[in-house]
Amino acid sequence: MTQQQEKLSAFMDGETDSAEIMEAILNDEELKAKWQRYHVIRSGLRKEATVAPEMDITAAVAAALDSEPTVMAPKRSGWKSLPLIGNVVPFAKQSGQFAVAASVAVAVILGVQQMNQPEPTEPFSTFETPGRIGGLSPVSLEQTRTLPRNDMSVVLEKKRKINAIIADHEQQIQLKQAEDQSNEVDQEARSNVNPD
Amino acid sequence: MTKAFFNNVPAPSELVRLFSPRNFCIYSLASVGLAFSVHAQQPPSPQIKSQSQPDAIVSEQNSMLADDDNNALADVYPYALTEKPQSATDWMLKMSAAVRTLNFEVSFVVSRLNQETVPFLWRHGVLNDGTSVEQLNLQNGPGRELIRFGDVVSIFEPDAPPYSLQSKYINGPIPSELLYDPMSLVKGYDFVSVGRARVAGRPAQQLRVVSRDNTRFSYQLWLDQQSGMLLKMNTLDLQGNVLEQIQVSSFEIHQQAPEYFAKVNRDSLPAALALHSAANRAQNWEVDYLPSGMVEVKQDIRRLAVTGQVVEYKLFSDGLVDVSVYVQPAADAIGSDLVLRHELSTFLSLTDGKAQVTVIGEIPLQTANAIATSLKLKDDNGD
Repeated sequence: MTQQQEKLSAFMDGETDSAEIMEAILNDEELKAKWQRYHVIRSGLRKEATVAPEMDITAAVAAALDSEPTVMAPKRSGWKSLPLIGNVVPFAKQSGQFAVAASVAVAVILGVQQMNQPEPTEPFSTFETPGRIGGLSPVSLEQTRTLPRNDMSVVLEKKRKINAIIADHEQQIQLKQAEDQSNEVDQEARSNVNPD
Repeated sequence: MTKAFFNNVPAPSELVRLFSPRNFCIYSLASVGLAFSVHAQQPPSPQIKSQSQPDAIVSEQNSMLADDDNNALADVYPYALTEKPQSATDWMLKMSAAVRTLNFEVSFVVSRLNQETVPFLWRHGVLNDGTSVEQLNLQNGPGRELIRFGDVVSIFEPDAPPYSLQSKYINGPIPSELLYDPMSLVKGYDFVSVGRARVAGRPAQQLRVVSRDNTRFSYQLWLDQQSGMLLKMNTLDLQGNVLEQIQVSSFEIHQQAPEYFAKVNRDSLPAALALHSAANRAQNWEVDYLPSGMVEVKQDIRRLAVTGQVVEYKLFSDGLVDVSVYVQPAADAIGSDLVLRHELSTFLSLTDGKAQVTVIGEIPLQTANAIATSLKLKDDNGD
């Protein structure tokens, strides 16, 4: 085992390239994990953040969700009978296993949009590529452009809809007080004519 | 005029005391016993070090502590503010009185996990004619300025023409109900007095605001012992992790309204928009489960500004947090079940074949889920 560790270490440093150690790493889970950790340690020592320790964010988030105390909600009796909704999948079955992984990515993008900034009306602007001057062949440029765009349009449309709701929610909160007060002022004005 | 006042007239009384050695000595000695007896149960703080050598105390904190017993401030603070609060509720009322009646300039920052810290400047004053004036200015980037004269708030934002709204309060990072009407929260929340601490260089009273049914985020507040001003506020999730932190970095209390307000030309502020909630068309669904103290404040059917989608909408509020519920046809909606966190808000979308329910608000996911799944048809007991 220690011999293998030495070989592994040597292999990482490029001092040996025996097929034996490669075979051993492939077949041994423990060695595989070590291989990963050694790289993380090395990049950490060198202050390169290129190799991140493998973290399963999805699992962590799901675990956090599960550990949240359950809210005692009343029976969801009427939900199924909404005529608008025919075949209702019981939502209780889904709670705790939402599309968490996808939402992590979305939330990051939304995070850019802060309360002090105007609502981004053009979410696609992120994907503008600066025009290249010379150098690259048009063929490769074409490929890198089209593939992700086809893929992204659905995702971006989804984000636009999410943004629309978030923006609306924030606007409603902002206006909530103002509407109340406008109505109050109206009522006052109706009951007694009272110019300021 | 006001500027002259600041330069020539005696400085605020706390400064005077700080720099007049005779008075100061008496106050600090008197306060040592007081300070120490209270702080003995607190974690070590710089103040405790001074206990063994009372002569050496030349600390601002102790002089501030003494102010509670001091009548010299009566001309600066309204009577209610000089009283010593006993309970957490008293402290909340003291804070509320402070933010409504004092002339102050406060700098604070808002920090959230993995986000840039956002600094704000907050001024408030009461003019000679009794008008309450307030300003909130976002200090970074292109900025955002909100000015309130009486009950009209004018909003100046980059890339948008200025406008005004009817509102008694500026809607800033600190929830306005918490500041101005804390008693409206008691249906849903408990106020708990925790103890003393030192915040922003001042002795502070720590409070907790906890939802009664533990379905919402909780808050920790630190109030200035002397004035009752909010010095720090943490928003915590159900596990006790800090989601957001508001920290005052400096604050000044003056005898007159900050001079800034004298410079504002009130006539040039935009006139207040009259907003009216449209006549409500009753919706055929309702939410069966709501956290304690939360009530429906609005409902309507309208189009979203960004996408033009038609939504059925209800807004719920417990004073501290607002929760929106949207119902839309699934074909038009986001398309899949989704949960994400946007700033402090939980965004939860549940879809089946035909309809999508979206709940968004500053509440824990489990609570949002409970609300979303409790949706049911009105006048239909089919179960």
